Amino acid sequence: MSSTTTPTTNCPECDGQLRDAERETVCTECGLVVAEDAIDRGPEWRSFDDDETNPARTGAPLTRSRHDRGLSTEIGRSSRVKGRKRRRLARMRRQHSRAQISSKADRNQVYGFTEIRRIVSALDLPTAIRDRSCVLFESAQSADLLRGRSLEGFAAATVYATCRADSLARTTDEIVAVAKATENELSAAYDALNRELGLPTGPIDPREYLARFASSLSLPSAVERTAREYAQLAHDRNIVSGRNPGGVAAACLYAAATDHDHDLTQRAAADEAGVTPVTLRTTYYDLKDD
Amino acid sequence: MNTDDRRAISREYFSRERLAEHHFRSFNAFLGRGMQEVVDEKATIETDIGDKEGEEPVYVELGDIRVVTPRVREADGSEELLYPQEARLRNITYAAPVFMEMAIIKGGFEEEERVVDQTETKIGRMPVMVGSDKCNISGFSHEELIDIGEDPADPGGYFIVNGSERVLMTSEDLAPNKILAETDTKYGDQIEVAKTFSQRRGYRALVLCERNREGLLEVSFPSVSGSINFVTLVRALGLESDEEIVHRVSDDPEIVKFMLENLEAAEVQTTEGAIEALGKRVAAGQGKNYQLKRANYVIDRYLLPHLHEDGVDEEEVRINKAYYLCRMAEACFELALGRRDADDKDHYANKRLKVSGDLMKDLFRTALNKLARDVKYQLERANMRNRQLSVSTVVRSDVLTERLEHPIATGNWVGGRSGVSQLVDRTDYMGVLSHLRRLRSPLSRSQPHFEARDLHATQWGRICPSETPEGPNCGLVKNFAQAMELSQHVEDEQTLKQELAAMGVEGIPGVESIEQPADD
Repeated sequence: MSSTTTPTTNCPECDGQLRDAERETVCTECGLVVAEDAIDRGPEWRSFDDDETNPARTGAPLTRSRHDRGLSTEIGRSSRVKGRKRRRLARMRRQHSRAQISSKADRNQVYGFTEIRRIVSALDLPTAIRDRSCVLFESAQSADLLRGRSLEGFAAATVYATCRADSLARTTDEIVAVAKATENELSAAYDALNRELGLPTGPIDPREYLARFASSLSLPSAVERTAREYAQLAHDRNIVSGRNPGGVAAACLYAAATDHDHDLTQRAAADEAGVTPVTLRTTYYDLKDD
Repeated sequence: MNTDDRRAISREYFSRERLAEHHFRSFNAFLGRGMQEVVDEKATIETDIGDKEGEEPVYVELGDIRVVTPRVREADGSEELLYPQEARLRNITYAAPVFMEMAIIKGGFEEEERVVDQTETKIGRMPVMVGSDKCNISGFSHEELIDIGEDPADPGGYFIVNGSERVLMTSEDLAPNKILAETDTKYGDQIEVAKTFSQRRGYRALVLCERNREGLLEVSFPSVSGSINFVTLVRALGLESDEEIVHRVSDDPEIVKFMLENLEAAEVQTTEGAIEALGKRVAAGQGKNYQLKRANYVIDRYLLPHLHEDGVDEEEVRINKAYYLCRMAEACFELALGRRDADDKDHYANKRLKVSGDLMKDLFRTALNKLARDVKYQLERANMRNRQLSVSTVVRSDVLTERLEHPIATGNWVGGRSGVSQLVDRTDYMGVLSHLRRLRSPLSRSQPHFEARDLHATQWGRICPSETPEGPNCGLVKNFAQAMELSQHVEDEQTLKQELAAMGVEGIPGVESIEQPADD
């Protein structure tokens, strides 16, 4: 039965304490719903007036890509304060933002997250990848993997790992081109991540590379479609395992391009994937072997 | 003229230019010239790297900037051209990548300057106005537009940010770099004030010259609290002798009388003395050297910045500032004597419109400054960690992108204005056109502002006399007249000056007058 007043008594069945949540009054001991009111008495619609600000609706959303999860505050700027007060506010602002970073770990985290943001925006990856990379970085930090290895390497490795886990694989060359890390640093960090944290990554499917390579080589979508079929063929014939997936993708594209009489050299396709034309040729002959 | 003729003329008139042409012209000028001008103003990004012992100074030189047409990069990495309808449906921003040439240069102390790295790198994404030159559908025919999903009758002229169409509201401002005289009351007395909004490269300074109760002239400008005696300031700028000052203000005997009163009450007599007095004012209690340095800095930076130009050297600029101040003084006196009427602030000759390109230019300038600060920080960090300095690892493209998209999305512009970008009013076709041709005054909605809200005679042919909202915005929000055309301001005065010099005008600062060859 519904009631609009909450009883001040105890639970009728077990005589326990009552807890008054938003719409129900529940017994904490036996779980009996003593009273409930299904009618939501809140406002019927939200008003978005510029002048009125509801203090309950403040701040930016929580995000894992900041070291404080988006919970810190900043001292705001106003053109209405002048002179001495303005200088005072500037000093306070500086001290306040310095106080946000309390330990070396925090500082490293800020540096790592900034680097991750930079790599993700340089590669135009979706924001979900950025947040997951930052979470991975945090896990690496708490598992003490950063000791003796570079922060830049870890930033790049987390981006690499997250892309791979999402089947949006990026080659190490692509990531190293925009990251501060060198290839060695990236591999060292990635090996550590894989070993200690057990990432859910398997071998890379060449199909993940097809769209990107096709787009940057300006191949028509018909060629890309045929290349996909070749990639499926490569899987069926088990040509994929043990080979560089970028090379397999490039070979499929080259095969499709020749089928459609589209102008594409082996060298161009191989350069795009970061493999030698020899690798491409071997895979191509395997594909064409029938 | 009968109805058919009128209809024919109307149709022909409106088939020439698009109805929101002022938006397109302004934004195209921004993309074509404005962005490069902002980058050239900045020119270099300095770092603190060379300040320590044993380190070579490092700086970044900024080169040409280039914007392509909007594209979208999918999650799998493939890149395609983005069309407006897709941006609207997918709630993404219709933006184009911006590329800039940057060169990291090291050296200067022990070693020669050498270029460490030089590339053209992507620095961010710039939202593009639908229908502008860099828009993917510009120049499309009727059928092509339908194929791509666009309404051929849609006027364009708005941006698409996060899927919502936003118009940048044209706003109305007092004309910069003009002397406006008016009367004001201070402590009960009537005083005359001459104001100038001196604007240069996004920095706008109000310079006042007023005649106080005792009849003495005082000047006030930013960074200096209160006012400075006019004669002191003019002497500090290089105009020393009494005769020169009086001559430069006016030759009218009554005004000369006022000026002599001012000169009698003068505190300093020489240029050096004037600069010292100014120094004591702006940097009270500091050492003499610092006072002089600060006084010079304040004069060059904050007083009438619009008189600085590229072709003119510093001493000439100072004298020009002195002449300008004398003209302001003359305006004050003329107003006091009744020879000149107070300037009408609602007269359209004293007003300028800031259209979307101008607004984007201000935005781009602050965004570029933020990017420069970030690049400086990244360079210093990389140098500290002994890493190879390279352009692609030092630029963070999300800084610029966010600084450009966020104000258009929320309407909060640099300089604290809000409500600059609004959601396009898609009630009906007429609503869209009206929204694109709207004009906003920055005056507050809650104050009465009777004269500002009145219909002014100079609005004839320019602003619609009848289309204005009822209620608190009445008269402050206006709409363009039917046949209105907006003229464009080109900031480069060099070509104009050279033309004038070629025609025979003498004494233009920064241009050597052409010698007229003898007739024989």
